Amino acid sequence: MVRLASAVGLLGLIAASLMIGAADLKSGSVDADLLVWVSRIPRTAAALLAGAGLALAGSVVQLAVQNRLVEPGLTGTPEAAMAGLLAITLIAPGAPLMLKMLAASLASMAGTAGFLILARHVPRQDPMLLPLVGLIYAGILGAGVTWVAWTTDLMQYLGVWQAGEFSGVLRGRYELLWLIAALAGLLYLLADRITILGLGEDRARSLGLNARQTMLAGLAIVAATVAAVVVTVGTLPFVGLVVPNIISRWRGDNLRRNLPLIAVSGGAVVLAADVVGRVIRWPYEIPAGTVFAVIGAGLFLWLLYAAPRPAGQNG
Amino acid sequence: MKAFFCALALVLPTALQAETVPVATAAGEVQAPLTPAKTVALDMAAIDTLDALDVAIIGRPDIAPPAYLSETLASVPTVGTLFEPDFEALAALAPDLIVAGGRSQAQVQPLSQIAPTLDMTIGGADLLNETTARIDAYAAIYDRTDAGTALKAELDADLAAARDAITGKGKAMIILTNGGKISAYGANSRFGWLHSALDLPEAYPGLVVENHGEAVSFEFVAEANPDWLLVIDRGAAVGQGGEAAAATLDNPLIAGTTAGKTGQIVYLDGSAMYLAGGGFHSVTGTLEQLTAAFGGAGS
Repeated sequence: MVRLASAVGLLGLIAASLMIGAADLKSGSVDADLLVWVSRIPRTAAALLAGAGLALAGSVVQLAVQNRLVEPGLTGTPEAAMAGLLAITLIAPGAPLMLKMLAASLASMAGTAGFLILARHVPRQDPMLLPLVGLIYAGILGAGVTWVAWTTDLMQYLGVWQAGEFSGVLRGRYELLWLIAALAGLLYLLADRITILGLGEDRARSLGLNARQTMLAGLAIVAATVAAVVVTVGTLPFVGLVVPNIISRWRGDNLRRNLPLIAVSGGAVVLAADVVGRVIRWPYEIPAGTVFAVIGAGLFLWLLYAAPRPAGQNG
Repeated sequence: MKAFFCALALVLPTALQAETVPVATAAGEVQAPLTPAKTVALDMAAIDTLDALDVAIIGRPDIAPPAYLSETLASVPTVGTLFEPDFEALAALAPDLIVAGGRSQAQVQPLSQIAPTLDMTIGGADLLNETTARIDAYAAIYDRTDAGTALKAELDADLAAARDAITGKGKAMIILTNGGKISAYGANSRFGWLHSALDLPEAYPGLVVENHGEAVSFEFVAEANPDWLLVIDRGAAVGQGGEAAAATLDNPLIAGTTAGKTGQIVYLDGSAMYLAGGGFHSVTGTLEQLTAAFGGAGS
């Protein structure tokens, strides 16, 4: 029943996304085929892929550090990706997209690794502590990136990566995001191990898991996913926090079982935000990141306060 | 800070003694010092027009100027950035007049403690009138009425030529490209004088009044289907690499518009438009560019 309802909901959203835009499909002033193939389908796919990727990345990070209140946006990952992008832009401005993506991925891996090292030293009694540490860590990285951008006159360029939105998405400009689909497949293979990792490193090790290796693999997937999203559409806050939390509260923590649902829900919420952003001030655009930040903040507060919290369990 | 007050003490008496002349500024009519010997200009449009009047300045903001000003400004010392003047360096220069405005408008009050400061902000759809008013003001301050009259005549001639070339050539849309994304500017925007002063019809009339333009999609441009696209490349304007405007616009949706099909996409001098908008060279250069582009097209 739930499955059917969500499938229908998703199809409805996709249909809406294909129908709605600045140009009118039926007026005929722009060729409808062209519009759908060049603009609408890429945009819809980009939103779905970016949302799915960020939601999956969120659940991996949450299991890896065993804290429900962490997401890639709170681990310095996007900031580190931006640092990598900025560095490659300064060193080799004309570098091809894949090279930029590689630089962003490597930097975001390093940034996320830095957070994981920090996380080891953060006391676990208060679940709010780790996100706060992450927030500060991301803030420091972000400040460094801003400083470099400021001194090199690249502030506006940075702005393009900071506001996650899809107005520039066209055929030929988002295909990098399909990498996320491949990464999701990889994640599916690793899912059981990451679920075990979620029990804590000691317990995972006693169950025969190479915790460090699993952690590294998960980290690489998260970093590559976030980098792909930042490079092509910019950062989208909250997605990795809200979606995995809702799903895991509802269905528990079996990553393999939840993976498809997390991916679909993440894609759906981002697509919905983008459709709303296209409609509110039609024919102008409001960034999907802005729309989702508003919705996401509400959902987050609801997660914090309204839902029941099982005794003896953090978050 | 000490240097600041010493300089202040030095500057104030001379400022009080100097003769003044009433000029129009963005803040209304004020008394400006007559023929100041040492001028610091913190606004690119002001620097542009002062340069056209052959007025030398002794301090300028630290920013890459439009190409046509780079030679003149190469030897002029910098005093802070466009938004944040370096007050100590400024005071050390002991200017007789500071010309501020635009991005430094918020600093006019603090700056006027160092030397008389004029708010010469130029903005909005009435840009050409403001350009003329600034020429008049500088001509009065530096006693160069003849040179000012000559500049205004040149401006009028360029304007008439551009109007002539543009009439009956169709509707245009002004867009700014930035890192692969675009925004559109209407007749009431900072670039709106291209529509209002030149009688150039808008492809999408009634674009919301926004100084920063409206974020739009390529679909928006395709639906509006302009005959002309006037493109300002923000990245190039502020000396950044990144995706060039031509690459951003190289897609089937833009190619499908009349402007795309007929090759009527005009890449304006972004640096002049974006940084020095309202300056004499900026305006005349843009007008000449438009005259050349529109003049070449069959009506």
